Amino acid sequence: MKSFIHANARTVAEAVKLLKRYNGKAKVNAGGTDLLGVLKDRILPEDPDAIINIKTIPGLDYIRKDSKGLKIGALTSLSDICSSPKVREGYSVLAEAAYAVATPQIRNMATLGGNLCQDVRCWYYRYPNEIGGRILCLRKGSGPCLAVKGDNRYHAILEGKKCFAVCPSDTAIALTALGAKLKIAGSEGRKIVPIKDFFLTLGDILMPDEMITEVQVPKPPKKAKQTFIKFVLRKPVDFAIVSVASILAIEGGVCSEAAIVLGAVAPTPFRAVEAEKVIKGKVIDTVTSAKAAEAAVMAAKPLSKNAYKIEITKTLIKRSLLGSS
Amino acid sequence: MQREKTSSGKQGLRITVNGEPYELRIGDWPGEVSTSHTLAHTLRETLGLTGTKISCDRGACGACTVIMDEKPVLSCMILTVECEGKSITTVEGLRDPKTGRLDPLQQAFIDHTAFQCGFCTPGILMSARALLNRNPSPTEEEVKESLSGNFCRCISHYHVLKAVLAAAQKGEPTHS
Repeated sequence: MKSFIHANARTVAEAVKLLKRYNGKAKVNAGGTDLLGVLKDRILPEDPDAIINIKTIPGLDYIRKDSKGLKIGALTSLSDICSSPKVREGYSVLAEAAYAVATPQIRNMATLGGNLCQDVRCWYYRYPNEIGGRILCLRKGSGPCLAVKGDNRYHAILEGKKCFAVCPSDTAIALTALGAKLKIAGSEGRKIVPIKDFFLTLGDILMPDEMITEVQVPKPPKKAKQTFIKFVLRKPVDFAIVSVASILAIEGGVCSEAAIVLGAVAPTPFRAVEAEKVIKGKVIDTVTSAKAAEAAVMAAKPLSKNAYKIEITKTLIKRSLLGSS
Repeated sequence: MQREKTSSGKQGLRITVNGEPYELRIGDWPGEVSTSHTLAHTLRETLGLTGTKISCDRGACGACTVIMDEKPVLSCMILTVECEGKSITTVEGLRDPKTGRLDPLQQAFIDHTAFQCGFCTPGILMSARALLNRNPSPTEEEVKESLSGNFCRCISHYHVLKAVLAAAQKGEPTHS
C-alpha cells in the first residue's frame, strides 16, 4: 500500500472536518474489508493521502426499533444485524441479506454503511496496479469500458450505460425493497436521502466530505412475506450473480402491495416495477409469477456473455413469489 | 487525533496479544508500526508470531483469522494503527501459557489428522476456538457455518469437522 496519514476520528464532526480538509484525498475506514483491498491493489487513479478511522466514533453502532421502524447506526456490524431479534422479527429480508454477505469473519468486521458504499467488483476495474498498470475506464476518470467487448459474464443486463459493473451490495437490495432512507453527514450539515436516490451508475451521491451515519427503515406492511434469495457459484464468500429481495403484502389471497428489487443485474439496485404491476391486485400463482418474471426482464439488454443472467433472474423472481427458495 | 507520545516523541500504540501487553511505536523505522501495516504483518514481522498465515491477503481465504474482541476477524484486512487498546488471540495463544498443554482443539486436530499442508490450519483453529467459546456444543451445521470463511485446498474439511466436533464433545474448559 502507498503510505498515508492515519487519523482516529472521535466524532462525526471531526471526521467530516478531516474529509473536507483533505478535499477528496482522504477516505474513511470502517470495517476495512473493501477499502484495504482497494488500497493494496492500488486500483484508484490517486491513492488517498489520508485514512480516517471512524470506528473510534462512539454512538454509531446501534439498532433501535419502535412502532414506526428501525434505525440502524452506520457502524453496526453485519453479524450484529443478522443476529439481532429486532431485525429478524419484521425485517427478515434485511437480516437475510446481511447474513448472505461473504463469510463470518467479514460479517464481524463489515458495517452496514460500508456495505452500501463498497466499490464495484468488475475485474477490469479491480485489476491491480501491476503488470501493464491499472486498467482505466470511465469509473476511474476516463477511458473506454473494456467489459463491453471483453469478458462481461458478471456484468449488468439492465440499465448499463457507460458502465456495466453491477452493484455488489446485498444489503442495498433488501434496503431498497424496504424503502429505507440514509442519514448523511457532511460539512453542509445533515440530510436524509431515500436509498433509491443514493446509488448512481458510476458510484453514489456521497460528496468527498460526506459519510453515512444512520440507516432508517420504515415498518413494512404487517405480516408481509419477505424473501431474500442470492444466487452464487460458491457458498458463502461469493458476491451475487443475481439476487432478489421481495416484500409482498397478501390480503384475502390477493397481493395488495409488492416490492421486488433485483441485485447484481444493474449498476444500481433495480426495482422491478413492471413485475410489481403484474402481480398487484392478483393472486400469486404459477401463471402470474411467470408473467411477473417475464415483465421484470423485459428491458434486459444482455452483453455478449451474460445472457444467462436473464434466466436466473426469472427463476429467482418466481421462487421469491411462490415461496420456495 | 490524539495518540500517546512515547519517550522518543513518536506516537505509541498499545495492544495485547495472547495476554502479553506490547507497546509499539508508530513510524517507518524497523520495529515500528507504519500506518499501512496490517495486523497480520505486525503479528508476523514485528512481533515474530508467525503462526498467523497470510495467503490471499485480500480477506477472502481466512488463513489470517485471529480472535479480537471474542470474534474471529481477518488480520490482513485490519490496520494495526487502528488496534489501540485491543486484545488479540493468535494460534500461539491457544496453548495453556503455564503448562504448555495444547488446547483440546489443537490436540483433536492432531488426533484426527485434520490438516495436510497446514497452511489454513491456524485460521481454522481460531475460527473453531471462537465458535466453541461462544457455543460449547455446536451442531455439525453450526461448525460448518462458522468455518465457512476458512478455505482449505488440501480438502482437509472432513477431518476438520470430526476434530472440532470431537473437541466440542470433550467439553473441556480452556483458559482462553
